[in-house]
Amino acid sequence: MADESVENKEESTGAPEAAPEENAPAAETGSTAAVATAEAEGAEAAAEAEGTVAEEAAEPAVAPAKMIQPDIGFVREVIGAGGTDLKKCFQCATCSVVCNITPDDHPFPRKEMIWAQWGLKEKLVADPDIWLCHQCNDCTAQCPRDAKPGRVMQAVAKMSIPSLSKPGFLAKGIGNPSMIAIMTALPLIIVGLAVGLLGSFNPQRGEGEHAGQIVYGQFLGHWPIVDVFSTFFVLSIIIFLLGIRNYWVMMKKHASEEGSPVSGSGMAQVGPVIGEIAAHKRFGKCDETKDRKVSHLFILYAFVLLFLATVTSTIYTDFPLLWGGHGTESPYPTLSLVKLFGYSGAIAAVIGIGLITINRFKHQAKVGLGSYFDWQLIVMIIVLMLTGIGSAAFRLANIGVLAYPTYFIHLSTVMFLFIYAPFSKMAHMVYRATAMAFARTAGRDTPM
Amino acid sequence: MEKKIGVYICSDCGIGEALDLEALEKVGKNEYSAAAVRSAPFLCSQEGAQLIKDDINNEGINTIVIAACSARVNTDAFDFDPAQYITERVNLREHVVWTQQPRAAAEAEAAAPEEAPAEAAAEGEAEAPAGEAAAPAETAEAAPEAPAEETGPQVNENTQEMAEDHLRMGIVRARASEPPEPHIEELNKTILVIGGGPTGLTSALQSAAAGYDVVLVEKEAQLGGWGKKMYKLMPDKAPFAESRKPDIDNKIQAVEASGKIRVIMNAEIEKTAGEPGKYKVTVKSNGSSETLDIGTIVLAIGWKPYNANRLEHLGYGKFRNVVTNVEMEQIAIDGSGTIARPSDGKQATRVAFLQCAGQRDPEHLPYCSSVCCLTSLKQALYVTESNRDAAAFIVYKDMRTPGLYEEFYKTAQNNPGVMLTKGEITSITEDASGNIILEIDNTILGEKVMVVADMLVLATGMVTNALPAHVEGVTDLTPEYVGSWRETETVDGIIKEVVADPVVLNLEYRQGPELPYLKYGFPDSHFICFPYETRRTGIYTAGAVRHPMTAMQAANDGTGAALKAIQCLELASRGMAVHPRSGDQSFPEINYTNCTQCRRCTVECPFGVLDEEENGTPKTNTFRCRRCGTCMGACPQRIISFKNYSVEMIASQMKAIKVPEEDSKPRIIALICENDAYPAIDIAGLNRLSISPFYRFITMRCLGGTNLVWIADALSAGIEGFLLIGCRFDDDYQCHFVKGSKAANERLGKVQETLGRLMLESERVTQVQLALNEWDKLPQIMEDFAGKLKEFGPNPFKGF
Repeated sequence: MADESVENKEESTGAPEAAPEENAPAAETGSTAAVATAEAEGAEAAAEAEGTVAEEAAEPAVAPAKMIQPDIGFVREVIGAGGTDLKKCFQCATCSVVCNITPDDHPFPRKEMIWAQWGLKEKLVADPDIWLCHQCNDCTAQCPRDAKPGRVMQAVAKMSIPSLSKPGFLAKGIGNPSMIAIMTALPLIIVGLAVGLLGSFNPQRGEGEHAGQIVYGQFLGHWPIVDVFSTFFVLSIIIFLLGIRNYWVMMKKHASEEGSPVSGSGMAQVGPVIGEIAAHKRFGKCDETKDRKVSHLFILYAFVLLFLATVTSTIYTDFPLLWGGHGTESPYPTLSLVKLFGYSGAIAAVIGIGLITINRFKHQAKVGLGSYFDWQLIVMIIVLMLTGIGSAAFRLANIGVLAYPTYFIHLSTVMFLFIYAPFSKMAHMVYRATAMAFARTAGRDTPM
Repeated sequence: MEKKIGVYICSDCGIGEALDLEALEKVGKNEYSAAAVRSAPFLCSQEGAQLIKDDINNEGINTIVIAACSARVNTDAFDFDPAQYITERVNLREHVVWTQQPRAAAEAEAAAPEEAPAEAAAEGEAEAPAGEAAAPAETAEAAPEAPAEETGPQVNENTQEMAEDHLRMGIVRARASEPPEPHIEELNKTILVIGGGPTGLTSALQSAAAGYDVVLVEKEAQLGGWGKKMYKLMPDKAPFAESRKPDIDNKIQAVEASGKIRVIMNAEIEKTAGEPGKYKVTVKSNGSSETLDIGTIVLAIGWKPYNANRLEHLGYGKFRNVVTNVEMEQIAIDGSGTIARPSDGKQATRVAFLQCAGQRDPEHLPYCSSVCCLTSLKQALYVTESNRDAAAFIVYKDMRTPGLYEEFYKTAQNNPGVMLTKGEITSITEDASGNIILEIDNTILGEKVMVVADMLVLATGMVTNALPAHVEGVTDLTPEYVGSWRETETVDGIIKEVVADPVVLNLEYRQGPELPYLKYGFPDSHFICFPYETRRTGIYTAGAVRHPMTAMQAANDGTGAALKAIQCLELASRGMAVHPRSGDQSFPEINYTNCTQCRRCTVECPFGVLDEEENGTPKTNTFRCRRCGTCMGACPQRIISFKNYSVEMIASQMKAIKVPEEDSKPRIIALICENDAYPAIDIAGLNRLSISPFYRFITMRCLGGTNLVWIADALSAGIEGFLLIGCRFDDDYQCHFVKGSKAANERLGKVQETLGRLMLESERVTQVQLALNEWDKLPQIMEDFAGKLKEFGPNPFKGF
């Protein structure tokens, strides 16, 4: 009862005036936001009247006021995280109008802009829309104030990761340019330990049909790779699952606080969301950066193909019977399924990351080059591709002095991506999908 | 002056083609025996002007009637010394030829209806043997038209008649004019600046720099005004992005160092008597009084904050940590930029600002003070700049940062600690520790929110110091002057008027001790067209006394007002009027023998020119006069006139109009104000808009000069009606003489009685309010009025 605003009918002649709070933070919980109309008597009288007023309240009045506690540190963080021009926004809502992706109901990014300006971290972190945004940056290009809403959305999304993926310090570290050395060192140490303990830094050349050739299995064997990498991969998946759950709970709470509660688990939306991602319909809606659809699709399917290559290699090696009985260790035959997946994945990735890089520069004038967060992932993928192709090339050329270090870096890059997937920009694939599923569950989704 | 009239008709710009110039010349020659009547092409050319000059030199022409284009153009070509010659411009081009239909069209239209009577006549003749009496009547009516046709086969007779009447009126007007004999006296050229704030200091410095002696009076013990009471000021130079430390001390030092500026501190003006160039101002300072000779006055008394005690509903006076923006400046000064809240001196890290506190509110100040948004942005930066983790919340109705101050808004907005939202405060409460809790609805945050602040700053507005200190609100003021009602008995009956309270000037003027205001106590002349001017010639307002503004704008105002004060002195010393009749050397002369002491002139003068003797006889103060002629129009005895503008002159113009007996040719007089209506008709002409040919235009300095005697006279002479075309009046007035068109309108109320006595419809005399940019509506207005007169039927006095 007390948390509802009430109106004293008998004294409703004056302007409504809230009863004073004993202490301000209490109001945050929404316990005593009673509104009493007792202008003449002043605040003290209103305080006295509060009890009776609350009890005798005949009808609930307007929605209760919500205590907000602006966090200036958060504002500064958003500015530092790439939302540099956040404060320029004067709430004209051009951004929400030009956005082709936003739901019509409570559209983004206007509301996120003011929340960010006011440092309302709680609202933003639990907001499904920060991940629904696809970074078209139509808003950034059209913003009359050059506040770059797209960049702010991304900065806020990045800053929400520590609240979703635990432990949060990893997210903070990966998002911080000055931490890059330490963050890079971690996968190098893990892979280094793996090679040192389970493989050999001084590998022998191959035997039999591979006599004298470079065999990466000698550097780090198939099973150690599977063991070590799977461990971190599964760890990341667990972190992601916990993150999805966190996010879902937060979004639900946010939705009820915003006055439109959402029920349902969202499991029913998994299929449609995957279908939508597979077709990349939303990217196609972008105006300024329409070509991102193609480049991003290439990258998406490159990762799918490379994932298939990894899976098939395991099947090749561990389940030889499925493959006509001759279980093989790497290197695999050039025309084996592993290689075909691998090569096509590599080609797709090269095309994809190449286009992404070119597009970034092409759109620089209108929507900016992008943040550290973006470029970290782009650079890692470029390194992954170069070292992957390099490893294969140097192996075939049989130049050990180049092949093994390249392969080492390649493995470390893979490890980097595995470990940091829930914390780096990679996290977008999971949280955006989650946000899409939530929007569908909430009925806020716009048909694409 | 022995009049020798020369009439010069220009045949260019379509005048020659549309009119029969020979017939027009005959008007001058035969009807008025002009000494010279000539028509010439391109009269404004050197050759054309030479023609006139030759006549002046050889024939002794001294009264020059130029029937050509608008009096507003070619003024340099027809510039003859007004002290020696009377020059009258008859506007045949814009007002007659260009507003009438092109000849071909007019003929085509004229031809069609004329056929019908012709046929009727023919039928009548045919039927005549049957004994119809109609036929002779028809022929008789057709007969007088024939000579008109003779004026030229190609000329439209209505246009010709219109031109001829206008020429007649021009000649008559010139004949009734005398060259003005300027009123010249040795004048004092000291400028008195009242108020030593940013405005007054600038005004004093600028006047001194222009070479004038200045007396600067300040009521307080130190100079600087509000400039001394601010921690920082709004930016005053490009890029208008950063607030600045007050630099008022530089100006104070410059004033103190100037040899031309005398400063009187702790001053109070006991009395201001006289007129521009001859003011006697009694100043009391530190117990002793002194009377100064003053030329003109700049009133820069500034503003005071709105009384926040009336804002209890916003927590002021009720909660310890609710302060006004003015108090906030003092807090910032006291803390050298650090904001300590009043209740416990704790540094405020959460400060809320409520914009429009008691402003844009019909209960308090109904207007926007235009600077409070900037002030709050500036003060929000005090909060955040003195503490990196502090936040300032600004809740506004609209964020208004006019002009280049937008850049300052951007600076504040870009500060991470400055948080802005539109919103309405629904409740303000205080908790035990003195924090202020605000509930804000309709925010751009999308919901009703509650914010806890260490303190709340109310952005209260600015009230002009022209209002007496005891006046609390600005919405229930007595009209024009703040004061109390008084009833006076006059020959017109009981006049109820306001007796103004003295505030600062203590003028010895019949109309009261202070400047009249238009709205909310701001002393007024026209806000846009004539800034600085007031309704008291020689007294100019500058700075926040005339409307709310920033210190920079106030300083600019000080310069502007100084310039007006100088203009006034220089023109007055040449016996000339100030704006809008700049350079006019005529002035009203009163024939006292016939004065009935009715006081109408002293009441109606918009500029308080006329004082009153004990018995009500008007006493002129020529240098206060703007020469509008409102007194002339007000006087029922017709005893006020100018050398070149009088009741008789206009009356004789009206008499000069030929009123034909046919009902198809009504004559309507349009009294047009020279400032807006005259150029409006010019523009209509320029755009070839067609105007009814039955109008005759008589130019007035201002409709305020309209004397009711003309109306009765003209209506009895068969004129169908009067259309008075004047400026807008009342709140958004556009009258160049402030109240002239309104005075005319009030007088028209009284004409009803006269019309009733004549058994005429009261709408035969109608006033319309026309802005210059409404020239396109003019033809319709005139057509409608003519249509209404037609409905009334012909004036029964016609033909008497």
